Amino acid sequence: MSVLQLMKGRRNRLLVTSRAALSDWLNEDAPVFGYLLKVLLASLLAMWLSLRFELDQPRTAMLTVAIVMQSRSGMVFAKSYYRLLGTLVGIVVSLILVALFAQERVLFLLSMALWIGLCTAGSMVYRNHQSYGFVLAGYTLCIVGLPAAISPELTFNIAVTRISEILIGLICATMVSDLVFPQRIWDAIQTKVRQRFSDFSDLLRTTAQSSASTKSSKQVLLRFIGDIYSLESFRASAIMENDGAKHNRLRISEMNNEFMAVATTFHALEELLRRQRNTGHPEVGAALINMYRQLSEALTLDGKSAHNEQEAALVTKQLTAFRSTFTQNLTVYRMQLPQEMSDHEFLDFETGAELLQRLADELHAYAVTYSSVNYSEHKSATEEMVAPPKLEMHFDPVAVALAGVRGTLTLGIMTALWLLTDWRSGIEAITIGVITSTLFATSPSPNQTIKQFMIGAIIGTILAYICNFHLLTQAQGFLMLALAVTPTILFASWLTTKPSIAVVGSGIFIVFLMHIGFNSAYNANPVTFINDAIADLLAVLVSGVMYGLIDISSSAWSRRRIASSLRGLIVSACRSPLLMKRVHLENAAFDLVQRAGSAQRVAQEQDRLVIDWLLSTLEIGHAVIALRELKPEINHPYFSELLLTSLEAIAALYETPTETLRMKALKSIENVIENLATDISTDIAMPEAAHQLRRQALSMLHFIHSALLDEESVLVAKEKN
Amino acid sequence: MPREIALLDALVPTLLFGFLAASCGSLIIDWLLTRYQLYRFIWYPALFRLAAFGCMFALSGLWIY
Repeated sequence: MSVLQLMKGRRNRLLVTSRAALSDWLNEDAPVFGYLLKVLLASLLAMWLSLRFELDQPRTAMLTVAIVMQSRSGMVFAKSYYRLLGTLVGIVVSLILVALFAQERVLFLLSMALWIGLCTAGSMVYRNHQSYGFVLAGYTLCIVGLPAAISPELTFNIAVTRISEILIGLICATMVSDLVFPQRIWDAIQTKVRQRFSDFSDLLRTTAQSSASTKSSKQVLLRFIGDIYSLESFRASAIMENDGAKHNRLRISEMNNEFMAVATTFHALEELLRRQRNTGHPEVGAALINMYRQLSEALTLDGKSAHNEQEAALVTKQLTAFRSTFTQNLTVYRMQLPQEMSDHEFLDFETGAELLQRLADELHAYAVTYSSVNYSEHKSATEEMVAPPKLEMHFDPVAVALAGVRGTLTLGIMTALWLLTDWRSGIEAITIGVITSTLFATSPSPNQTIKQFMIGAIIGTILAYICNFHLLTQAQGFLMLALAVTPTILFASWLTTKPSIAVVGSGIFIVFLMHIGFNSAYNANPVTFINDAIADLLAVLVSGVMYGLIDISSSAWSRRRIASSLRGLIVSACRSPLLMKRVHLENAAFDLVQRAGSAQRVAQEQDRLVIDWLLSTLEIGHAVIALRELKPEINHPYFSELLLTSLEAIAALYETPTETLRMKALKSIENVIENLATDISTDIAMPEAAHQLRRQALSMLHFIHSALLDEESVLVAKEKN
Repeated sequence: MPREIALLDALVPTLLFGFLAASCGSLIIDWLLTRYQLYRFIWYPALFRLAAFGCMFALSGLWIY
């Protein structure tokens, strides 16, 4: 009996563990398997169709599949769409160039270089798939234009074949990813949005508890920046996925904007608390921390953060309660402060309270939007929403121009080699060179990316050799052909699922498929193969060298440039005749940093400069904008003039951060504070609303003042270096 | 129906126009179904879209040949 029970127990335990293993497998490995299956299915389908239609180069169709395939259906649609657009534009331009300069090779190559430079620059300006479309419009010129220029009578055929092959590839890829185990991008958005809210609540809570501002909270904040943009790109792709996703598009974008505001205010508050701890009156710090804890409690449900929309709705209620009692609480805390404190220390408290209130308001707005997102696919009619401001493009024109120059130069070097040495594989080399030197321009660290691509290219060449001269020679019929190419496709697409080495996978794909030894029939030739392989590797090497020479993302120079454009944002926030919107400032600052790729490399010491400037910009910028918003509402005889001079001083400081300018700015802000404070205390007959406005302005001024005074800020650190 | 049409002096298969028309048709159907939330009644929208497209394209093929 007991033996039987023992066995039963063991079996149960076994069942439990195996069930856990199964669910693990379903969650983590099954999607990868599904994805591999999809890639294989789509590329074999594309191969079969193009062989069936007797197109010249089935490999183009397969390459297209390999390039556009991604795990989420919406991303596949978006990328396909832009690949199609890019190809069409590239082909039209090739036709025009061939028609104009087919006999004049120098002119032809010059205009080609110009076009490629322009396209690369375009790809730096736009994001994600649009950027890819630009790259494609550029390098299609190499693929179609160059062979066409050599034999102009075939131009039209080459163009039509290219379009047909790409279309077949796109159709196969989109069809397979829509039909076979579709992975909706909408689910990814949902996970991301939920996770962001709960992560942010966690962050608020941990900072309230530990009350020690750390580097880690900076890193979390930066991860959020990355999230803002990945969410934006998901959102853009979700439009292509029809059902359900459309309804909440605007809401997601509005939530993104609100989240930026919350993150900035949170950072400002955190800095204020840190300064308070280091230099302020301990009572003030304690009171502020207590109030902050109450806020973080309002975000908490049973000691946990909200994980879905229903819980967020509860959090919204708690936040509403917090806001309604805020003024009362504030008065209580104010009464408890020791009376012998200086005016300055009272101001510290008021400033902290003002920031807390802002944070609570913004959090409330964010939580309301979040809880109103409805994920069910079939929604009853949505109320019309005003479109929130879009994420705009902010970039460094010099960096963009340099990227264009890099593409052009690579083309120039490769064509010079081709023309001077009468190289047989010249076209091959030019094509790969241009592809690699333009495609990775937007990656956060092109140098790393191109190294990975090089490794992929080498592996791809070896695999192509084995496939061409050992497998394909023995293959008969479509089935054997499919068997011969399957291992590489599976291997390369498996690599692309691992983010850290994804580029190796795409390198294998591109090189392998470019060298695969069959068109309509088997036609591999070892001599041509080795020539082309050498050309490819050489081309990748050249573009690697170009990335090293024209390094616009990780050199000290580019970092200084980004830092100064961040400071420029403050300057224009202070000086521009039109009031800058806060969303605009945040968006511009985040975008600049995001494009430079610094957000992904926070850990590195050199990028700290950029990050510190980003945070300083956000901190001061939000206060400056708040002040300028308050300015017209305060009717005070000379307040606006005083404010203008101090804004001007801040602008001058951010233009060239030096110690003397810092002192000057501090002095002028002190002047305004004094004036405003005496105005508040003397004019008793003032209505309550006006009083309130003045106090707000005062606390913002005080905030800027203490931020500038902070000895640990980047403004001071700059002096020491 | 002619099997090929001269488009700017390039001979294009008439079926291509059938393909384009079928794509437009399926886009319209898709829009209508999303607009009136009729996808509720469909088990697998993606498959339905493909099938609808296939039907229209096949019809145009039958009509041409």
